[in-house]
Amino acid sequence: MKDLQHSADASTVEEAMAAQNYEQAIVDSEGATALAMQNTLLTPRFYTTDFDEMDAIDVSPVREDWDVLIGQMQADPNKGHFKKNEDWDHIDWEGMEPKLKAEFIDFLVSSCTAEFSGCVLYKEMKRRGNNEDIVTLFQLMARDEARHAGFINDALREAGIAVNLGFLTQKKKYTYFRPKFIYYATYLSEKIGYARYITIYRHLEANPEHRFHPIFKWFKEWCNDEFSHGEAFALLMKTDPKLTSGGNVWWIKFFLTAVYSTMYVRDHQRPAFHAALGVDPDWYAHEVFTKTSEISKQVFPITLDIDHPRWQRGLERLQKANADLAEAKQSGNIFKRIGASARAASAFISLYTIPAKQHDVPVSTRLEPAY
Amino acid sequence: MGLFTRTTETAPCEVEVSHRFDSLHAHVKFLNGAIIHPGDEVLVHGAPVMAPYGEVVREERTATITRASGIERAWTRMTGDFEFMELCEFSFSEEVSV
Repeated sequence: MKDLQHSADASTVEEAMAAQNYEQAIVDSEGATALAMQNTLLTPRFYTTDFDEMDAIDVSPVREDWDVLIGQMQADPNKGHFKKNEDWDHIDWEGMEPKLKAEFIDFLVSSCTAEFSGCVLYKEMKRRGNNEDIVTLFQLMARDEARHAGFINDALREAGIAVNLGFLTQKKKYTYFRPKFIYYATYLSEKIGYARYITIYRHLEANPEHRFHPIFKWFKEWCNDEFSHGEAFALLMKTDPKLTSGGNVWWIKFFLTAVYSTMYVRDHQRPAFHAALGVDPDWYAHEVFTKTSEISKQVFPITLDIDHPRWQRGLERLQKANADLAEAKQSGNIFKRIGASARAASAFISLYTIPAKQHDVPVSTRLEPAY
Repeated sequence: MGLFTRTTETAPCEVEVSHRFDSLHAHVKFLNGAIIHPGDEVLVHGAPVMAPYGEVVREERTATITRASGIERAWTRMTGDFEFMELCEFSFSEEVSV
């Protein structure tokens, strides 16, 4: 059915009654405050990939585990969970310290964008794929990501931030992702997402006085979704041993290094947010890397040596170079910019060249969330 | 598709925007089966499709697809992989300090 924006465009009474301004007038008193809301335009990327290659995936070698996992996702244990209930405490946004408020909103918007981008990517695969197993998986994952995005959106609305989905009518370019890179990158982003959320959740369970917003109470179920998405990608990688051996191990190392170091740099840009949570970002990073590495042994034959003396030093150098780079960009100082870029590159190379830890990958891949 | 030249075409499409607590999403589906390749650009015509809170809006629109040139397509295939970081929750935003 075609929804009308306004009853003025209706050709029948029924249509007019169903038009959005009517419904809004009756059920949504927020219409009046909407104008005062700050508009944040979401700008996800759009992806395309080699769909023939994805269709060629055969999950037969992992069929048993695969069916159990898909069955769990179809049973949808978290349905109805991601909405506000009596546990949703009132938040005094006005009274929140401005720096914390800015960093926390930045956290929510970037989380929402990530969920949204995942949703767009998964939905595209669902639509373009022909392989029944793969299409089913991506449909289920798109559902979860859209649900999470909707929940974050609710939290943002309370803060007076309206997420604008009008980006579709802007010109957008489709970028390209090789299928194997989709596996490495999304596997890691789902698993590190689990490790990040569960670490915060457990920390706040022990230190509830630091829980400055109710959304953290939802992190456990949230990250369990992330965990099972990661499981699905682990099984996908298991279907083809080439994906996790030979030259591809260098790619795996690259993705691990890039994801870990980006997380470190980004988290250090939110000092007020971490202070309010009572979390030291260096402790947090180490904790999250440890958990992610432990989990990723299920499918990756290497883990990064995060206790190597060069590791922490490299991260700190990267963080400093990155902050200098941002400053140079702002001031327009081209020499500082080149210098900072070079330092960032050298820090990254130093991290990448730390010898990785090798280990055997277990025969059985499946894990359950245990942290 | 030329090596250096871009071509454009129009395609009917359906835009779906959901602005509900249980699903926040926005998708474009081409109704004539047009396929998007790396580096192509898509512009949906008309005013932004806005769904008020609590609503799902589905509209048929026209889109212009600007096909990337052969060179652009090859370039996007080579480099697109490195934009993966956006899928991580900690990836986004321009603000840097400390």
